[in-house]
Amino acid sequence: MKNSFAKKVLGLSALLVAGSAPWVHADIKIAIAGPQTGDVAQYGDMQVIGAEMAVEQINAAGGVNGEKLVAVRYDDACEPKRAVAVANKIVNDGVQFVVGHLCSSSTQPASDVYEDEGILSITPASTNPTITERGYTMIFRTIGLDSHQGPTAAKFIADKIKPSRVAVIHDKQQYGEGIATAVKQTLEGKGVNVVLFEGVNKGDKDFSPLVAKLQKQKIDFVYYGGYHPELGQLLRQTAEKKLDIKFMGPEGVGNKDISQIAGKASEGLIVTLPPAFDLRPENKGLVEAFKAKDQDPSGAFVMTSYAAVKVIAQAIGGAKTQDTEVLQEYIRNNSFDTPMGTIAFDEKGDLKGFDFEIYNWHADGSKTVIN
Amino acid sequence: MLEAGLYFLQQLINGITIGSTYALIAIGYTMVYGIIGMINFAHGEIYMIGTYVAFMAIAGMAMLGIEFLPIIFLGALLASMLVSSSFGWAVERIAYRPLRGGNRLIPLISAIGMSIFLQNYVRLGQGSRDIAMSSQITGGFSIGPTDGFHATLSYMQIIIFVVMLVSMALLTLFISKSRMGRACRAVAQDLKMANLLGIDTNRVIATTFVIGAALAAVAGTLLGMYYGVVNAYVGFIAGLKAFTAAVLGGIGSIPGAMLGGILLGIAESMTAAYFSTEYKDVVSFGLLVLILLFKPTGILGKPEVEKI
Repeated sequence: MKNSFAKKVLGLSALLVAGSAPWVHADIKIAIAGPQTGDVAQYGDMQVIGAEMAVEQINAAGGVNGEKLVAVRYDDACEPKRAVAVANKIVNDGVQFVVGHLCSSSTQPASDVYEDEGILSITPASTNPTITERGYTMIFRTIGLDSHQGPTAAKFIADKIKPSRVAVIHDKQQYGEGIATAVKQTLEGKGVNVVLFEGVNKGDKDFSPLVAKLQKQKIDFVYYGGYHPELGQLLRQTAEKKLDIKFMGPEGVGNKDISQIAGKASEGLIVTLPPAFDLRPENKGLVEAFKAKDQDPSGAFVMTSYAAVKVIAQAIGGAKTQDTEVLQEYIRNNSFDTPMGTIAFDEKGDLKGFDFEIYNWHADGSKTVIN
Repeated sequence: MLEAGLYFLQQLINGITIGSTYALIAIGYTMVYGIIGMINFAHGEIYMIGTYVAFMAIAGMAMLGIEFLPIIFLGALLASMLVSSSFGWAVERIAYRPLRGGNRLIPLISAIGMSIFLQNYVRLGQGSRDIAMSSQITGGFSIGPTDGFHATLSYMQIIIFVVMLVSMALLTLFISKSRMGRACRAVAQDLKMANLLGIDTNRVIATTFVIGAALAAVAGTLLGMYYGVVNAYVGFIAGLKAFTAAVLGGIGSIPGAMLGGILLGIAESMTAAYFSTEYKDVVSFGLLVLILLFKPTGILGKPEVEKI
């Protein structure tokens, strides 16, 4: 009885394996790897709609060298452990191109796998500088670096806000702590008084001891390096104590959920974000296409993900090969036409001439540029 | 000097508030452990479900146009206790009862499975995004000078503390005075013997799970209203903290859970206050290690006598 059951299972799985073999055909698969679940899944959504729109439009225009692009989603939940598992799965699935990952702490370990296996990856969101500083050839990014974003933020704080007592808080993650450190160093270089530099635990909800500390230290400005779930709580709990503290954060806090969590307390939050590419007149048609599908093109990583797919497609089209070794050379030596404008990459794989912009966040989830 | 005192007071208030909720969740662990000698790893998820139900109830009442705060609060509390208790009952029925009498590790593993199942069940049903709700109860008392540093005690913090005390008192009364409570104690002492003497042990154990789940729902409602945010993963870390609190106070002991919860809350807020926020979990789990090393039964726990 047991034996025959085992045989059936074996037979069935053999059938499945045999059945899947004919599916290997000439389409060019692009993996979209990012958090589709978990507490930063919002950013994964931005990535997915941007990348899938690009795939759809490229296919509608005839594909690449006559072949169709196929987007395959992989979920890493922004967890480094799962990112490695996802990377290995991508290798096993025979996918050659990756748009992702999103969180720097996921991109870093996953890129080790991609480098070894010769898989070309373009991250549309990871801003930690060390990702491209390891001499890897297979990793690119269509976003700026914290080492630029941090100083941009810090200069704004020192020159425009001129606070007297600053606290720099971070979530101890690669992204958050990296950017917080960059901000702190630039601020101190400009003679701003950084009174407090402290980490919080990712996933924490209770910040009341920290808020009391801010109050005691008479802090009037807080820079937070991290993501919106924690900053949202911090804003909310600071507002409940009626403290007059101005907050600022990187693009990781800039999405509509922070207004959901913090409510009125999110009004006046300052955020550094990639430029609002969706507001540029030349992208009007693309924005319409997103709106027709009831998708929101204003998310920080929608256009960067779209651009990442475009870069891969144009490189394959231009170099007339899918050999990633040739393609990475091609990407370094050519420029690409994307909704972010015409972009080019430097030796490390970073964008040339990318600047963050500074926005004022509003309680209804909208934002306005500060000049 | 005054400022230092007020700062300490403020951190004490913060610690007691968060500790009270740890205590409420810890009760569930402690009761189940006290009676069947097992840790219910799905308990944190019950707490998370409690928060979701409270949010839904509040949103539902807002749609019906109910604005009277006490009714909203009580309605949310009742709805979440009701739904969570049925989940607690179902967890016992599905993950524990069929495995009773087997190796103690087996139900432990099935409870972990239950926890993963509930997490993903809620995630699929409710989406993986954070669900947020604006504060319902705002305002509070201010202690100290208005221009300098002053400690605040919000109404929500008072409610959390009072509800915790009332729940503990009711539970203690139930355990010591009621017929069912006596049956619980009998089962805790010796399950086999209680069974032989005609106590329906299955019913007693199910009741324990239901009570534990109801208290977790109370904590879920309170903390949901306090922080205003929930997602499918909040149960894990809350459960871990509450478990620590239960062990700290002496697992199996109800006053121990309360003491452990509040001590843990105060230890966390004091670490954040005088040291650094990033070390608060290090200190709370370090405390657990120390307690386990030097007093393995916890602060109020009795050394376990091997039953013959």
